[in-house]
Amino acid sequence: MQADATEKRMRELMLAALDGDAAAYRRLLAELTRYLRPWFARRLSPSHASHAEDLVQETLLALHTKRSTYDRSRPFTAWLHAVAHHKFVDHVRRHAIRPTVQLDDDAPIFAFDDSAHAADRRDVDAVLTEVPERTADLIRQTRIEGASIAEAAARHGMSETAAKVSIHRGLKSLMNRFAGGSK
Amino acid sequence: MTNELIDRLTSDLKPIPLRALEKRIWLALAIGLFATILVGPLVLDLLVGRPFGGAWGNSMFWSKLAYTMGLGSLGLIAVPALSRPDQSRIWPLLLASALAVLALIVGTLGWMQSDWAMPVLMGGTAMVCPWLIIVTSAPLLAVLLSVMRRFAPSSPTMAGLAAGLLSGGFGAATYAFYCGETSMMFMATWYSLGVALTALMGAIIGRYLLRW
Repeated sequence: MQADATEKRMRELMLAALDGDAAAYRRLLAELTRYLRPWFARRLSPSHASHAEDLVQETLLALHTKRSTYDRSRPFTAWLHAVAHHKFVDHVRRHAIRPTVQLDDDAPIFAFDDSAHAADRRDVDAVLTEVPERTADLIRQTRIEGASIAEAAARHGMSETAAKVSIHRGLKSLMNRFAGGSK
Repeated sequence: MTNELIDRLTSDLKPIPLRALEKRIWLALAIGLFATILVGPLVLDLLVGRPFGGAWGNSMFWSKLAYTMGLGSLGLIAVPALSRPDQSRIWPLLLASALAVLALIVGTLGWMQSDWAMPVLMGGTAMVCPWLIIVTSAPLLAVLLSVMRRFAPSSPTMAGLAAGLLSGGFGAATYAFYCGETSMMFMATWYSLGVALTALMGAIIGRYLLRW
């Protein structure tokens, strides 16, 4: 359903852009940038991560110069995916890069975008203001960033047991506040 | 940097008419076909000395016309889809090969009936026929490929092959007006070879010219 909504929105923007609507075109390009950047970054090895921005620009440029090859009766995301894939293969060949994409990470372009993660992070930040600062930091370190309780406790100069109790109390109070109490 | 690019592209936005790609192909076909038809009187008649309508009134003339126009039309069906990044349409190319095989079978049967007589296969112009078909098709192929540079084929080679089939088919149809051969086997062998070579030329040029 998510993909359908994206397709519908993108296609409407593209159709408006093809009719000469500059505002819609700008929105389309800006939104595509948010999807394309992480998509390219995921399929480049970390040492080539800086190429992602070039690839985004090459893809936007190709979209612009080749936009007459988009068939209005067909899905826009499929067309864009083909253009981006072509640019990626071309870039990799030209720079003799070995792409390192995990098979299970071969998600389509419109599966992730930068801003969704940003929105999630903002939500977490907002929720954690409800508990004391030190507890919030302990929860963030152990539950989100993946530190062990011992590491997090050491960073705050407290014992492991105290950290455990603090995290437990913090989560419990958040549960009462947002999830209608623990069951 | 990307924002600057978006600014630049947005300010450069011009509306795209409906079915713009198909319209460009039709325009290229009209201009290219005109140039190819001009090759007839200018090169085939004046330079090579082939009068117009060499096989006029022979039923074989119509077979040659139908066969070559059929190949050209199959190329025309394949070109638009192969010019887009998200589509591919191979069946017209396969059908064209099947049509050539069919012509060869019918031609061989006719050749067999005439007891494998060499003139039935070779006619009087077998050695020049494929080359003259390439020459006749070349203007159409050139116009078509130059227009297709603005497209975005998923495979430049396949797009070039389809453009070559289109040009070779219609070029051979033009050539048929200046060709006096009246044997099925001759057409199945040498016309097919001429069209195939043109298609191959399109594929090789397309591989480099249609990159994007």
